[in-house]
Amino acid sequence: MTINSIFLMMLTGLQLGAIYALIALGLTLIFGTLGVVNFAHGALYLIAAYFAVFLAGSVGFGWAILLVPIILFLIGLALERGLIQFFYSRPHTDQILVTFGVAIVVEEALKWMFGANNIPFALPSWGAGQVLFYGAGAVVPDAIPGIRIPMPFLEGFSFFPAWRLLLIIVTAVTILAIFALLQFTRFGLVVRAGMRDAEIVRFLGVNISARFSIVFGIGALIAGIAGVFGGPITQVSPTVGMALLVPSFLVVVIGGMGSMIGALIAALMLGMALSFTTGFAAAIGDPTMKTVLTALQQIVVYLVAVVVLLIRPRGLFGTKGVFE
Amino acid sequence: MKITEKGISRRGILRAGAAGSIALAAPMHFIRNAWAQKAIGNFPARTEGSTVKFGFIVPQTGAYADEGADELRAYQLAVKHLNEGGGMLETIKPLSLKGNGVLGKKIEYVSGDTQTNPDAARQAAQRAIERDGVIMFSGGSSSAVAVAQQYLAQEKGVIFMDALTHSNDTTGKDRRRYGFRHFFNAYMSGIALGPIIAERYGKDRRAYHLTADYTWGHTQYESIKEATEKQGWTTVNNIMTPLGATDFSQFLTAAINSDADVLILNHYGKDMINSLTQAVQFGMRDMQKNGKQIEVVVPLYSELMAQGAGDNIEGVLGTANFNEKLDDPGSQVFIKAFMEEHGRPPSQAAHTAYVQTLLYANAVEQSGTFYPPEVIKALEGLEVDGIGPGTALYRAEDHQCFHDILVVEGKAPSARQDEYDLLEIVKHVPREEVTYPEDLPAFGGPEADLGPYEPTA
Repeated sequence: MTINSIFLMMLTGLQLGAIYALIALGLTLIFGTLGVVNFAHGALYLIAAYFAVFLAGSVGFGWAILLVPIILFLIGLALERGLIQFFYSRPHTDQILVTFGVAIVVEEALKWMFGANNIPFALPSWGAGQVLFYGAGAVVPDAIPGIRIPMPFLEGFSFFPAWRLLLIIVTAVTILAIFALLQFTRFGLVVRAGMRDAEIVRFLGVNISARFSIVFGIGALIAGIAGVFGGPITQVSPTVGMALLVPSFLVVVIGGMGSMIGALIAALMLGMALSFTTGFAAAIGDPTMKTVLTALQQIVVYLVAVVVLLIRPRGLFGTKGVFE
Repeated sequence: MKITEKGISRRGILRAGAAGSIALAAPMHFIRNAWAQKAIGNFPARTEGSTVKFGFIVPQTGAYADEGADELRAYQLAVKHLNEGGGMLETIKPLSLKGNGVLGKKIEYVSGDTQTNPDAARQAAQRAIERDGVIMFSGGSSSAVAVAQQYLAQEKGVIFMDALTHSNDTTGKDRRRYGFRHFFNAYMSGIALGPIIAERYGKDRRAYHLTADYTWGHTQYESIKEATEKQGWTTVNNIMTPLGATDFSQFLTAAINSDADVLILNHYGKDMINSLTQAVQFGMRDMQKNGKQIEVVVPLYSELMAQGAGDNIEGVLGTANFNEKLDDPGSQVFIKAFMEEHGRPPSQAAHTAYVQTLLYANAVEQSGTFYPPEVIKALEGLEVDGIGPGTALYRAEDHQCFHDILVVEGKAPSARQDEYDLLEIVKHVPREEVTYPEDLPAFGGPEADLGPYEPTA
């Protein structure tokens, strides 16, 4: 295994983790503040991807990046006020059932409207192409287009899709922005206080319910960002929401319900686990080991979850007693 | 005075004639009775009224719902043509059908949802058989479903006409007396595709396979591997990918890290759309390895997949069972009728569904009974014209239908005339070339057995 292939596997792991992190971030934010297990979060991603593909096709990708998160924020608010708020005081199982129901309705409605087949979602012209990484002393032919980044430890040069690197950057910026919002603003202070003890904050005369509605909207907005930037990768069809929800939910559970830093680390763990087991399965010569690794590659996400939860039932950064 | 004193009376002639015809018919009648002694499945109970029912169990939800919807459109058309005439009833030879139903009974149908899931499919089929009393059922998209349905068919004594299933196992190790497949299979794809890709891309190529991890993917990988290695290619590696993955980047990175210069995607439906689209995003079609352009091959193509993958299909080769640009009389009448009824050209899923329904009905009409063992015997070894290009043969030994198949290539966006004009026919591969011995190891070897004509259950 060369240094180049390890480098590519790391980038792949980061990028796989990035999309899980974006979706899990919204999930864990909503659980951490509202205490709601939102199984409709995959459906929000789905709605975002459909809006994105149609907006990108009609008014351009730039507008899609701007509009889709706003639309999703509004959908999130409407969903919280119209449905979710009636389930705050009910058990988690009821919340899971109702949000899961919403997810099925959204999926089937989109299938009814646009068919079950995939809607092609092409990358915008400015986001297509490869980024070239080159090592010390590498001779890169001038004919190769695109951005070039020096990586002294590489042998020769390597490519990675520009859009996937952008996804990693967008994820990092989004996570930092949410962190800053919660840590350094007055809104964040109130929300964090509400997470600690909503009752007391209410007694102090703060309308914490309104703040929590906005938090739900922000969770949906993050799903919107994930839909715009993830859509061209996962493509747009009614089943994609559910396909992403399961690993993203695992990320939240492994990280600890409601913990943002936990979700981030868990997403990275899963991304790297997927990337490296596949990479090793492909690289290994011994047929028995290859069979084992090939099988492992398909279940590695669940295996990580099992190991983490056996050792630490509340998840990596979970609060004691919550979903333990 | 007697009217008929001498000579032969009119009544007498009639009487003698009637007796004579009964005497002549008697042996046939007895054979019929001998066959019909045993009730099998829904025969004879559900064939005694003025109508009989067919069951069409297709994916209405799940990943293959669009294929299912197109199959259902074709089944509706087939029922219409059976009851009212038209369509391939004008081209099928030999034809017993009269366009007045089957054996004079009008055809009705019920539909069910497979959910692209073998368990759900089995339940839906069981409901159609037990509650609705269907005399034949058809449908499916996914070989896992088809195999499950064939076992159910054998167990219940109700004939199953496979629709979209491409795994070797369906007419290989899992072949069943009560199951028939008109669609081609992975092995035939390999025979058809091997020479063409070797001619286009050269004999010295190194292939990297990504394979959907279930019965169809496994058999397709084996078949394409064998066919390409016969052309002198080397198989560098194969990775099994989980069905329904949204992101294939870890698999594509592994392929890029290898020294392979051809990527073969043993994927279908959404898996194929995603893996192909992402391979293009990874720049694989602009890359070079070993001094050669990297090529991507999709052994099993469909119109719906081509639609979903958009511009990424340009120049990608694969095989198909049918194409809406075929110009033989059978394909033409079907395409025309389908366009008139539904306003869009039929997919290969629709074609195979339609043909299967008519072939079953024709076999019933020909044998003069719905009794399953007789219908099966009418289909076994059947040679038929007018259902597509060339003469098709339903081989008795494994219930695989052999006919001409197509090698197709994705069209460039600029070369398309309308939204359905996506695939170009590169070659008709004649039936003789894709025919193989039924006892090949890839098809279960000599032990593979269809099972009895009369279910023991």
